[in-house]
Amino acid sequence: MLDNKISFTLNGKKVEFIGDPLRRLIDTLREDFGLTGVKEGCGEGECGACSVIKDGKLVTSCIIPMGSVAGSDIWTIEGIRDTELGAIIIEAFADGGAVQCGFCIPGMVLASYVLLSEKTNPSELEIREAISGNICRCTGYDLIVESIRLADSRRRGV
Amino acid sequence: MSASCYIPENLTEALEIRKKVHAIPLAGGTDLMVQAKRGIGINPVFPAPIMIITNLEELKGIRVEEDGTLVIGALTTSAEIASDERVFYHIRKAASLMGAVSLRNSATIGGNIANASPKGDLPQPLILLDAEVVLSSIDGERSMKVDDFITGAKKTALKDDEIIKEIRVRPVKATHLFYHKIGTRRANAISKLSLSILADVEDGIVKDFRASSGAAGNKVKRDRNVEMILIGKHIEELPSLVEEFTSAWDGILSPHAMPKYRRESTRRMLSYFLERIAAGAEPGIIE
Repeated sequence: MLDNKISFTLNGKKVEFIGDPLRRLIDTLREDFGLTGVKEGCGEGECGACSVIKDGKLVTSCIIPMGSVAGSDIWTIEGIRDTELGAIIIEAFADGGAVQCGFCIPGMVLASYVLLSEKTNPSELEIREAISGNICRCTGYDLIVESIRLADSRRRGV
Repeated sequence: MSASCYIPENLTEALEIRKKVHAIPLAGGTDLMVQAKRGIGINPVFPAPIMIITNLEELKGIRVEEDGTLVIGALTTSAEIASDERVFYHIRKAASLMGAVSLRNSATIGGNIANASPKGDLPQPLILLDAEVVLSSIDGERSMKVDDFITGAKKTALKDDEIIKEIRVRPVKATHLFYHKIGTRRANAISKLSLSILADVEDGIVKDFRASSGAAGNKVKRDRNVEMILIGKHIEELPSLVEEFTSAWDGILSPHAMPKYRRESTRRMLSYFLERIAAGAEPGIIE
């Protein structure tokens, strides 16, 4: 089988992948591009540790084959942390004590980023729904929810 | 490395590949990628050729035709279905409760039907509404009811040169709606049991009544003959028909595990709905 060439945008830059189109997006990001902020937890699309943003939407990169990525716009924590909103969320997570072991946090930040990009002043229910696919074994979620609220108030300047 | 993998650029190319090598279509990948998973850093392997159709625009989107028929492209995601007000209540609700945010952004309606799991979220409301699936091949199109398309657990009538193109749902008149999914938790749960019900009540008469049970047998369970027990009856007669109806419904279920739990839960939900209607519940969603 011939290797396929797949072009996509990664953290704002045009990149190319050459290889098996069934290779998982998570493996390409971690091993080929060195973006180790993408974590592998369950490997079945359920825990959210491998979350990335694909065309503006949160997806789990462990169950996405490279063939599905052609022409897509992919963002990982390494790109989002340099955006204005990303930086606000990360600072709020640190100030709010949202982080313990940190393994779920890149995914949590990306889920928060998508939520706050789509909604201003989200309700607690909306916040919990937005991170419902991101599992955290340490915090019990309350401090993460509080930190997302903090990030939202800070970006609105209140 | 897998047998082979194709990335068709349009539907015609996909149908040609499907005809020639019978490649299995990979839509959102949320089922197939999990089944083919081998480990960290190791590429998934499938026993048959695969074609990745995730980005085929021709199979995406929702439209409503002039006669009110709702047409959902096979590659429309659960998130898109859940957020579209034009979609009938039961389908929208089921889509909104599938997995969590990221799964709903990848999983497609075509994939959910093709996977044909008895626990699949979307076939259940689609079968309630007599939805049809349109199957496309290089030689033409055919359509059939989703209920006929899914023939058993993980089994469908899909031919090896066909692709699910779209799902068609004609408008269904209903005054009272009910959808309930029982899972181990609110988000990210596979159905333990699900039930959709609708009734169309006019001047106290039950003009139409339908129910469909998910995860309670080898496929979604529905039976028009059992539904007929209630059709044409006055709502005041319903309390006296609850026992006959729920027992008959119980007779069509064949739960693979925890049968007592699944049967009793289904019976209670059906009874609750009928009692509410008999009590003159306002039209709308029965919570």
